[in-house]
Amino acid sequence: MPNFTEETISVAGGNLQVYKGGSGDPLLVLHGAGGNAGPRRYAQALAEKFTVYLPSHPGYGKSDRPGWVETMQDLACFYTWYQEQEGLENARAIGFSMGGWLAAEMLSMTGHAFRKVMLVGAAGIKPNDGEITDIFIISPQQVRELVYHDPAQVPEWDELFGSDPTPEQAQQAEGDREMAIRLTWRPYMHNPRLPAKLGRVSIPTHIVWGENDNLVPVECARLYQQALAGSQVTVIPNCGHSPQIEKPDEFVQAALAFL
Amino acid sequence: MDVFYFTEMPYAEFPESEAEKFPSMRLTFPNTYFDADTASGLMNRYLDEYQYAEEMGFDGLMINEHHNTPSCMDVEVNITGGILARITKQARILMLGNMLPTSDNPVRLAEEIALLDVISGGRIISGFVRGIGIESWANNTNPIHNRERFEECHDLVVKTWTTPGPFRWEGNHYHYRAVNPWMLPVQKPHPPVWVPGTGSPETVEWTARRRYTYAAFLTPLEVAKSLFARYREYAAEDGWEPGPEKFAFMICCHVNDTDEKAQESGKAFLWRMNYPLRGPREYWSPPGYTSRAGAQAVAARRPTPLHELSYEELQERYHLVVGSPDTVIKKLRHIRDELGVGSLLLEAQGGRLSHADTMRSIELFGKEVIPALK
Amino acid sequence: MFLMRFTERAYVNYTEEDVRNSPNEAVRLTFSNSNFDPAEGHYLYNMYLDEYEYSEEVGFDGLMLNEHHNTPTCLGATMNLEAAILARVTKKPKIVLLGNPLPIFDNPIRLAEELAEIDMISGGRLVSGFVRGTGVESLATNTNPLHNRARFEEAHDLVIKTWTTPGPFRWEGDHYHFRVVNPFQTPLQKPHPPVWIPGTGSPETLIWCAERNYPYIFLETDPQGTQDMKAIYAEAAREHGYEPGPENFGYLVRIHVQDTDEKAYDVGKGYMVGNIGVGRIPLPRDYASPVGYGSRSDDPRFLRLREQIRSDPFRVGGLDGAQYDSILDSKRWIIGSPDTVISQLREVLSFMRPGILAVWTNDGSISHEDTMRCLELMGQEVLPALREIGEELELTDPFQKEGVMPGLTAI
Repeated sequence: MPNFTEETISVAGGNLQVYKGGSGDPLLVLHGAGGNAGPRRYAQALAEKFTVYLPSHPGYGKSDRPGWVETMQDLACFYTWYQEQEGLENARAIGFSMGGWLAAEMLSMTGHAFRKVMLVGAAGIKPNDGEITDIFIISPQQVRELVYHDPAQVPEWDELFGSDPTPEQAQQAEGDREMAIRLTWRPYMHNPRLPAKLGRVSIPTHIVWGENDNLVPVECARLYQQALAGSQVTVIPNCGHSPQIEKPDEFVQAALAFL
Repeated sequence: MDVFYFTEMPYAEFPESEAEKFPSMRLTFPNTYFDADTASGLMNRYLDEYQYAEEMGFDGLMINEHHNTPSCMDVEVNITGGILARITKQARILMLGNMLPTSDNPVRLAEEIALLDVISGGRIISGFVRGIGIESWANNTNPIHNRERFEECHDLVVKTWTTPGPFRWEGNHYHYRAVNPWMLPVQKPHPPVWVPGTGSPETVEWTARRRYTYAAFLTPLEVAKSLFARYREYAAEDGWEPGPEKFAFMICCHVNDTDEKAQESGKAFLWRMNYPLRGPREYWSPPGYTSRAGAQAVAARRPTPLHELSYEELQERYHLVVGSPDTVIKKLRHIRDELGVGSLLLEAQGGRLSHADTMRSIELFGKEVIPALK
Repeated sequence: MFLMRFTERAYVNYTEEDVRNSPNEAVRLTFSNSNFDPAEGHYLYNMYLDEYEYSEEVGFDGLMLNEHHNTPTCLGATMNLEAAILARVTKKPKIVLLGNPLPIFDNPIRLAEELAEIDMISGGRLVSGFVRGTGVESLATNTNPLHNRARFEEAHDLVIKTWTTPGPFRWEGDHYHFRVVNPFQTPLQKPHPPVWIPGTGSPETLIWCAERNYPYIFLETDPQGTQDMKAIYAEAAREHGYEPGPENFGYLVRIHVQDTDEKAYDVGKGYMVGNIGVGRIPLPRDYASPVGYGSRSDDPRFLRLREQIRSDPFRVGGLDGAQYDSILDSKRWIIGSPDTVISQLREVLSFMRPGILAVWTNDGSISHEDTMRCLELMGQEVLPALREIGEELELTDPFQKEGVMPGLTAI
């Protein structure tokens, strides 16, 4: 099992918390709106083949928020800065949910960001029929109920949710939620101009979705596919919004095949 | 001592248990429960009552606004403010108030308030509020920016009132190239500004530093006292001493001919203390809306939510004063003496209180209570 | 025929020199509000409200208000507040707002709420007009003029949906984003208050109105050119399956009446004072129509119409160019004794055939006394005569129209 370390580096005038582990080509993993859950089972598996970088976004976890990071486009600017500084340009990347949106914004800004990108249950494009669930107007508990299609099949459930959060963890979760609100409040969880801007992308992209995603409708997988020329789509059956947690084996299999 | 008359203009024309079917009676409680015919009658009834309150001797008429809720039909305090400016003659009009953070156009807001001051001949008191969390949802204003927008919006409104146009404003949240509304307040340098609070320490300081009037809303007496004491400390730091005119206190208050009658009719206020005050934390205080320090301070100060208090407890704690004129006079005097406030803001119509009971109470306030408080 | 009374509620306590000495010699946008005296404003507003209340008494069917920003020519910068007052202090007439400038609003939900509140207080008497606003409105509120028409249309769609669709619902549009549209208050009139659109003949707006069966109110347009504008509307209406009648059109005219022609002629000169309406000192182009505000359509028919609007001497040279007498000769303003006014209006109405007549009774320096006398004579002589003429010419108004009332529903 590869060993992950937690380090803090200085980027753009603030501290950035990064989990790092494994060996091989770099793989940048961008977490979703809910925050950085650390190197879970899927990350461990990926670290067998890649050096996995799993940063906490500015304002999340132990990472500072430089005052200018207000929007998703600001966040994308931050990460291209981070990539240049750490020599992570042209790396492989996986973006989950809001992190998928982040990866897409970066793709729309430069052709040097990534070699290959996987978007998993990505926010960022407004569905035509359904709606992206408003995760701020309901409680974190309700959000969790919507994220997982079948909690019984989540192998790390006890580890993740088995015990009540400590006061520090609760404060942290509150801070993470504030940052998500800052970034995605309006327009909610999407950028109306994103699909058009993705027309520049020529690298391989792979779109992965849980068939039973209750947060970002699976319809958005098709919309991403339309926006990203040559992209492939994998829909994982009997699975909710976070395949990497709910079906880690299937997810890792798809990821390794692509990356 | 000035006494203000206030109603939230509630719409209580449905079984209140319907609220049980939804997360709250606010925000997402469907507007299919709203009947415009009934509301039309109610709005005009409430305006009649305001006119009668002026006639019977209230010094001021207070109005407020909320969104997406049957508990307050006034969605635009400046709309009703405009009407009162025209149909009343001498009462102060206290708007408590305009929600600054949800305003996307502070210049228009400055214009509207100025217009009311102009029409009323300088009778406007301009209250500014942050709005409860629900307003952020209804207007889709990012709660993270609530306090920043409150402050920038305030600065721009006051500058619009006091600096000859045209001027430019390129701020963080607001941007204008030609601020130059052809409408300015009659009162110079600008109408008095009041700010309500329930305990946020930032608000007390902000208000004191600007020498605005601070109005404590439905807080226990001891909390109001400590908030006012904090205000006085800031004032002392800045080298001045606030008089009673810098302090106001808002409660629900109902008077009827006898204590027995009042206790019976006063139960109508329980409607507004119940479902309209309930709902998920996300509605009332979305993440980022309140500073963590502020949230803790408020929680420490008001341990029991109003909707969990009984009719008797509400009265014991002076959230709701009910009784014959003598009883009410005694209790209001107690509040005045305890708090040293210059203004009492009385929500004298609330919940399901009928037109007849409201009119009778206004009459008794005018004939007996207000003269005694003077 | 629907008869409504209008004034821009001018503020005229400044001199031409004040304007000439101001940035770009403009009376709007940048003419400093240090020239505004709130004490005078207090007197004027209440006077104008008194006049509107009296207009109800003399028998007008509607009280029309408008809105402009950063200008002494129109004190209605926050028109909905005046409308709310009229909703409470009058009993019968429609309150006709022509109109709320949709593109400058960042929060159409709040606008929908305000209008619903006015409709409720008035007992269902609101006519809710919408406009794009002049370029000055865009500049005063710092709304990007490039998005003017797109915001107009999106805000309109959102306001109508807010009024007609039970909440809560979400709206993620191009310019507006709301997650919980659910104002508890909806208008008294069902499905919603009628919508009328005023303008000077922009073909895109005419077609947009015709598609929705919204009455179009011509604002002092050249009568000959108006025939072409009506043709554009009618063609679009037919494509949408209906034949427009007088109920689809309104006309705004300055009409002032006094006991004698001579008196009226003298008093009527008051319209020339200040810088009202078409403007004695033309506004800089960048104020009136900033880059991006205007249409870039190259439809030859539209270009011709636009050229016609531009070359109307009444609009272009300003009143200094047009001259009082020539305006009166061309019957663009109707000023005189009751008999004179009635006979001239018969001519105008026969040619224009509007179901809605907006009567701009006074402005500029016309005194309160003269205005009140004008209104009195309107009530005693002019309005009854106009109603007869309306019957005779079959000038049906939207409220008299059988079937679906224009202004309500898209066909």
